Amino acid sequence: MIAAALPILYPRELLRSFGVLPVELWGPPGTKTAIADRWLQAYTCSIIRGGLAFLAGGGQDHADIILVPHGCDSLQGLGSVLLDFPVLSKPALSFYHPRTRSRASVDYLEAEIESLAEELQKITGREATDALEATIREEEADSVLAKLLAGRLQVALSCRDYYRLVRCREYLPAEQFTALARPWLSSESGPSSAMPVLLSGVVPEPSGLLDALNEAGAVVVADDTIACGRRLTPEGRDQSAYRRMAERMASAPPCPTRGASVEERSRHLLDLAKRSGAKAVVFAVVKFCEPELFQLPLLKTALERAGLRTTILEVDVTEPLPQQLKTRMEALLETMS
Amino acid sequence: MSAAGRLRYLFGVHIAGRAALRFERLRSEHKMRSRESWRHRHLERPLDVSPRLKELISRHYLTGRYANGARKVAWVTSGAPIEVLTALNIFPIYPENHGAVCGIRRTAEEYCKHAEAAGYSRDLCSYARTDIGSILSGKTPVGRLPRPDVLICCTNICQTVLYWYQVLAHHFGVPLVIIDTPFLYREAPSHAVAFVKNQIEDSIPVLERIAGRSLSHGRLRDVTRMSRDACELWLRIVESGRMKPSPITAFDQFIHLAPIVEMRGHRYTVDYYASMLRELNTRVGRGMGALKDERKRLLWDNLPIWFRVRWLGDLLAERGVSLVASTYTNAWAELADMIDPERPLDSCASVYLHPILNRGTGHKLETMKRMIDYYEVDGVLLHSDRSCKPYSIGQLPQRESLSSEAGVPALLIEADHNDPRSFSEEQVRNRLDAFLEVLGV
Repeated sequence: MIAAALPILYPRELLRSFGVLPVELWGPPGTKTAIADRWLQAYTCSIIRGGLAFLAGGGQDHADIILVPHGCDSLQGLGSVLLDFPVLSKPALSFYHPRTRSRASVDYLEAEIESLAEELQKITGREATDALEATIREEEADSVLAKLLAGRLQVALSCRDYYRLVRCREYLPAEQFTALARPWLSSESGPSSAMPVLLSGVVPEPSGLLDALNEAGAVVVADDTIACGRRLTPEGRDQSAYRRMAERMASAPPCPTRGASVEERSRHLLDLAKRSGAKAVVFAVVKFCEPELFQLPLLKTALERAGLRTTILEVDVTEPLPQQLKTRMEALLETMS
Repeated sequence: MSAAGRLRYLFGVHIAGRAALRFERLRSEHKMRSRESWRHRHLERPLDVSPRLKELISRHYLTGRYANGARKVAWVTSGAPIEVLTALNIFPIYPENHGAVCGIRRTAEEYCKHAEAAGYSRDLCSYARTDIGSILSGKTPVGRLPRPDVLICCTNICQTVLYWYQVLAHHFGVPLVIIDTPFLYREAPSHAVAFVKNQIEDSIPVLERIAGRSLSHGRLRDVTRMSRDACELWLRIVESGRMKPSPITAFDQFIHLAPIVEMRGHRYTVDYYASMLRELNTRVGRGMGALKDERKRLLWDNLPIWFRVRWLGDLLAERGVSLVASTYTNAWAELADMIDPERPLDSCASVYLHPILNRGTGHKLETMKRMIDYYEVDGVLLHSDRSCKPYSIGQLPQRESLSSEAGVPALLIEADHNDPRSFSEEQVRNRLDAFLEVLGV
């Protein structure tokens, strides 16, 4: 079975233990969003409008379940609309990740995972099997992804191809992703003269953004996007599968969608920049994305105080990258060269 | 807390301030009584309790003005569990209400621009931009806002408040207490109630440290009782819109809502709403409506357009259309029976998990359908509020269902609760004209 999963706060391993493969929807690029106008206002972000338009326009035929985790007010709205109105023909599920970090949050998360498991059982008509093994397989895949993201310069791929590989994590089964990505960990590439940048924001879309970075003489050496860097969760310790899933989710890198503060995020970004040698931070922010937009002024100030250059590119993931944003990126890199 | 601060507070609030505000109220009451004829062509005269409302709100902000140095101050979201704070004598300031005051006084746009100049996107909530801009510019129409000692953010109205209060915490360098209330797509699961209660319990020692005193459970029970009493009275006030003609409009409710939001848990709030209800009952007894000639009745959904409340009120009144109810003002009334003073923390967890904004779009649709029947309305105005996604997303399928299932026409008005730049007067007027024609007025 396939679950069309909107971003991003959900336990992949739980779905796998029910024989469901989550395939994430981040737009998708090129989707005509007009079909979503019937249910969503124009001030909803392009990821959500695009996701709904894709599903309503026939994409749901490829899915058995629609999963809308609660990552922000707009995802909340979409999930609620899908649960309450006959918009799509496939069953919808929701999942709430707490915005605080404490033992009580992990307890809540574990109970929420159990609730989702009950829903999955009803839909799939089967029990979860090998949930702990499924979790360990996801942990291995995350470990490979973490190494791939940390060793970007060893991978002799253009930014576009590199992210094509990284983002297989959004839809491939964990074991297939691990098998596909692991060989790249031992690859080697020559020294790079490109300007090292850290990519933050929501998602490395539209892909023209990555081409524009390369063309302007830059290379992404570290990632803090919600779609990639912020999905990395460490290995769990607990031998109870659901508790382990909850612990892992609660330990992901700081993200405003999970309630991380500005201070936590600036520390994390500065650490990423230091470890990767990044000289600038590019924020690829989706228009109307409140979780990201609120923190940007303070993050920008903190990063610039530490000597990093920053630029903000506000994008629509369903549209090509506007020339104006390419020019802004070029201007940033020119001032640094 | 300093002796000088306490003295300033005592004199500014309890002696000079109280006397000045009382004098101002008496003057207004006298003026209202002596006014020979109320000149508005379509609206009946304002409620006699209105000067008392002005006194209450002014006293609240006056207390805030002198609070630093005399009392601990918390900046809180409108859906935060206020009872513990009140029982600890921590003074609450509501940035959202301050935002609404800025909207009504037409200063919000200026503050929003300050926030935008500092890098805050125009796509962010206009309350947040108003508040951040007010802080950055140091300007406010209420004189002065006290600096917070703690911030309390409850996510039961939106996630926006979480990011907004993180900005405030960074700016003021004070503790931020988050009460995270998982969104209820369906009935509240027991683990969600337990999670909220746990967070409220965890917040108590933090607040006790800030307040410099221990929480008295007897005091908490009393405060909770007064919160419940005020909410029950408010419920009866909004329900008086059921009468024909309605003695109150949603526009009146938007203004008289301030004490139930800002001053729950106080005797004076209960007394105020008791007086207001008595006056409304008297008007009902005399067959006196809020409009001189009520011809049609509408339901409002979402926050008000604060900077156009009067404009919209007049526009509807001149067509004989009374906005008799609103889901927004109903939100502070509908949970009254969940408040249990004998189980203050348990009921607190449950009540603060259940506001309409923390529940699904289907629940809101059912609420609107119930209100359509109860208030016998002829149509619904849905304010599609660019700044409030939790309230607005879902309105498009809701509008379809209202027409097809409830059989009432519904109009979607694109606007914003606080930023006039996202409002087109002509467009709204044209759409309203067409809608009212359908209603036959």
